[in-house]
Amino acid sequence: MTESLLEVRDLEKHFYERDTLVDRALGGEPVSIQAVDGVSFDVREGETLGLVGESGCGKSTCGETLLRLQDPTGGTVRFDGEDVLDLSGDDLRSFRRNAQVVFQDPFSSLDPRMTVGATVRQPLDVHSVGTKAERTERVRELLERVGLSSDQYDRYPHEFSGGQRQRIGIARALALEPDFIVLDEPTSALDVSVQAQILNLLSDLQDEFDLTYLLISHDLSVIRHISDRVAVMYLGELVEVGPVADIFESPKHPYTQALLESVPRASTDERDREIETLSGDVPSPRNPPSGCRFRTRCPSVIPPEDVTIDQREYRQIMDVRERIESREVDLDSAWEYVADEQPSSGGSSLRSLLGDDVREDPFRERHAEAFVDRLEERMLDVELSGSHAQTVRSALHELCYEDWERAASILAEEYESVCEVVSPALQDDRTHPVACHLYDQPDSVTANVADADVSAPVGDTVRTDGAESD
Amino acid sequence: MPRDLLSVRDLTTRFFTQEGQVNAVEKVSFDVEEGEVLGIVGESGSGKSVTALSLVDLVEDPGRIVDGEINYRNSELAESASENAPDAVDGDFVDVRKLPERHRRALRGPDFATIFQDPASSLNPSLPVGEQIAEAVEVQRRASANPRSTRSRTQSYGLGKFLLGTALPGQGYLTEESKARAIELLELVGIPDPAERAEALPHEYSGGMLQRAMIAQALAGEPELLIADEPTTALDVTIQAQILDILGDIQEETGMTILLITHNLGVIARMCDRVGVMYAGEIVERGSLEDVFDNPVHPYTQGLLGSIPDLESAGGRLQPIEGNVPSLLDQEMEDRCYFADRCPNAMEECLEKPPEFPGPGSPDHAAKCYLADHPYEPEQALPEDYFDDESSDTTVGRDDGKDDASGEGVSADD
Repeated sequence: MTESLLEVRDLEKHFYERDTLVDRALGGEPVSIQAVDGVSFDVREGETLGLVGESGCGKSTCGETLLRLQDPTGGTVRFDGEDVLDLSGDDLRSFRRNAQVVFQDPFSSLDPRMTVGATVRQPLDVHSVGTKAERTERVRELLERVGLSSDQYDRYPHEFSGGQRQRIGIARALALEPDFIVLDEPTSALDVSVQAQILNLLSDLQDEFDLTYLLISHDLSVIRHISDRVAVMYLGELVEVGPVADIFESPKHPYTQALLESVPRASTDERDREIETLSGDVPSPRNPPSGCRFRTRCPSVIPPEDVTIDQREYRQIMDVRERIESREVDLDSAWEYVADEQPSSGGSSLRSLLGDDVREDPFRERHAEAFVDRLEERMLDVELSGSHAQTVRSALHELCYEDWERAASILAEEYESVCEVVSPALQDDRTHPVACHLYDQPDSVTANVADADVSAPVGDTVRTDGAESD
Repeated sequence: MPRDLLSVRDLTTRFFTQEGQVNAVEKVSFDVEEGEVLGIVGESGSGKSVTALSLVDLVEDPGRIVDGEINYRNSELAESASENAPDAVDGDFVDVRKLPERHRRALRGPDFATIFQDPASSLNPSLPVGEQIAEAVEVQRRASANPRSTRSRTQSYGLGKFLLGTALPGQGYLTEESKARAIELLELVGIPDPAERAEALPHEYSGGMLQRAMIAQALAGEPELLIADEPTTALDVTIQAQILDILGDIQEETGMTILLITHNLGVIARMCDRVGVMYAGEIVERGSLEDVFDNPVHPYTQGLLGSIPDLESAGGRLQPIEGNVPSLLDQEMEDRCYFADRCPNAMEECLEKPPEFPGPGSPDHAAKCYLADHPYEPEQALPEDYFDDESSDTTVGRDDGKDDASGEGVSADD
């Protein structure tokens, strides 16, 4: 195994909102946005590590933080054995020479008032490499190398197309002969035919100059094409890391599986390919879900051991719970509906029908059944079977009296999943680790599972390598 | 045999900019069959979005549709148009371009509806989503009560309207029925708890939800033809899959005809029955999905397919198309095959504009390329540096031209 050039451990970058002096003076609590939350991976010398994820998952922030373009709020980054976060002065300058970046947007990442030559020469100037004539000569060589012509030295960025501009950005990154380049969505602003040119160029340069790449992209086919290993990110955390073939041919994490399934293939059998689409949206990183962050969308969330339930029903109940816990159910509109159904009450406003004392209210008492029916109709897409329907109804019944906590606790007691209580962690010492309770988890996680007293065992539901129960 | 719903002939749209005339869409002809999903695929600046905008007459200044016919089959419309615009009518078909402006506008909504790429900028940020959909429903309802007139159907949001609404609630434009229908539509596109979400403002929706709301709004008029212009480009793949699913389901249920415009070949493969490939303002190849994907004739189509990295296998080197998208400025376009300067198989005859030849596939298959007619003749090949002088001279102008076109509404792909 080749050596790691870059070692990232528990890297963390939280941003804070409402954190100005005025906010502090007014006693407001700052809101943290956990853009990157405890990410660990290695980039080995000479390889391309692909970092893939959907927008907002923190992949770009991760790239910027490990280059110290932003200061992390926690964790360590070691580059070639040195702790990047401790560097200062000359050491930091030499790190910056060795680690470069190519940005996504070729339109805003070049200074419109600098000629292309000056743009590519700037790193050489900053680090005072050679004489002026030597630098100019080097820039001309670089422009030729990335597929531009050296007589375009004095042109301005607006005279170039997107693909050509991206070549300029690459030439600039290569100027100081770095060992390591972060490619942050290098082709996502480009058309496919131009994207292919740039991808080929990047592979050629890697072979020629022994470069190590960290490729950040949301495009799975680009990742597959040029990465040696892949790390999949979801909501600030890594969920799976592995060799490219393993990730694409036998993905383990339900998120990776869903992500791969979602990509439409450009072939004629695509129409007949059945895909199970992932429900819902990515939750906000301001308030990420407890436990496994993917559990709110996961199609294989683990039910408690003593509950037998169909996965679709369980998923539905978990969604209902989620909404009750965040109090995102509009009770007034359900009452309005109930009131409208009553011929006697026509015309009178909802507030006059509902008494102030929720527990002693004859109207609520009388129409509780209709109200629960209405909520069920609105909130459930999947028909629940026997006892599960009963439990959900009794929880919804509590909503008649606006008792959100009781409603939430009725469901939590019955359906609490290991996925929401204990955060899974990437497995240690494997070539293809995954952070999911469906697989063997490291000792620290299994200990937490035992502590938390959740009834779901980790070992039993394992559907993979060397099952070992706790 | 399905009938054509729309038959477009020689549609030509140009932009008259300060730098000169930009030929964004050049003599584009295609038919949309009733109940099918027709895809138009091309790179940024190929004219696919302008084609869509031209169909619904939404091309903005300095752009103009200068020539062509947009024949739309609607016997009712043909009947009513035969009185005041007799030359527009041909049997059941009506040439939409020849209708008076007022009638053409009335087609948007009940006949042609559009979904655009960026849902966040397509909805009014200060009105609840449900209300905006209800408005579309109301427009449609009033339109069917008073067909082909636009006067009673549009409303403004001025101060007067606001005061009137405050003083006399219930006198508003929207009715309870249209609001209820809006909620049904939101449910149809898979928005959870639609009654509640209808009250929310657009910023409270996520990108995928907004695109669903846009689809709901487009469906409000029960359109004959839905034009979806890059409907999933701004979305993540998992959300894209949801949206495509919904579009597919609705299409299956209602038998609606969809014209799907995208740069993503995967989306085309997932959704479409037939495909047109656009390059430099022209449809260079068209045919069934199988014709275009498995048996492409035009070297551009081949190049496009060769450029996509394969998700299923690691594969070797990509086969990109050399060079860049050409300028669409009129003074720089020669009368030749526009792809000849990037084409690996350019021949001498390519300096003359190729007509459309039938392709080897289905009866629909056709390509604007001599290779569809006869095989490549190496002795006819153009010398490799044939276009070199020209391209180095015009690099500056080329890129200017491209920027212009995108500034004027040729959507730049994300």
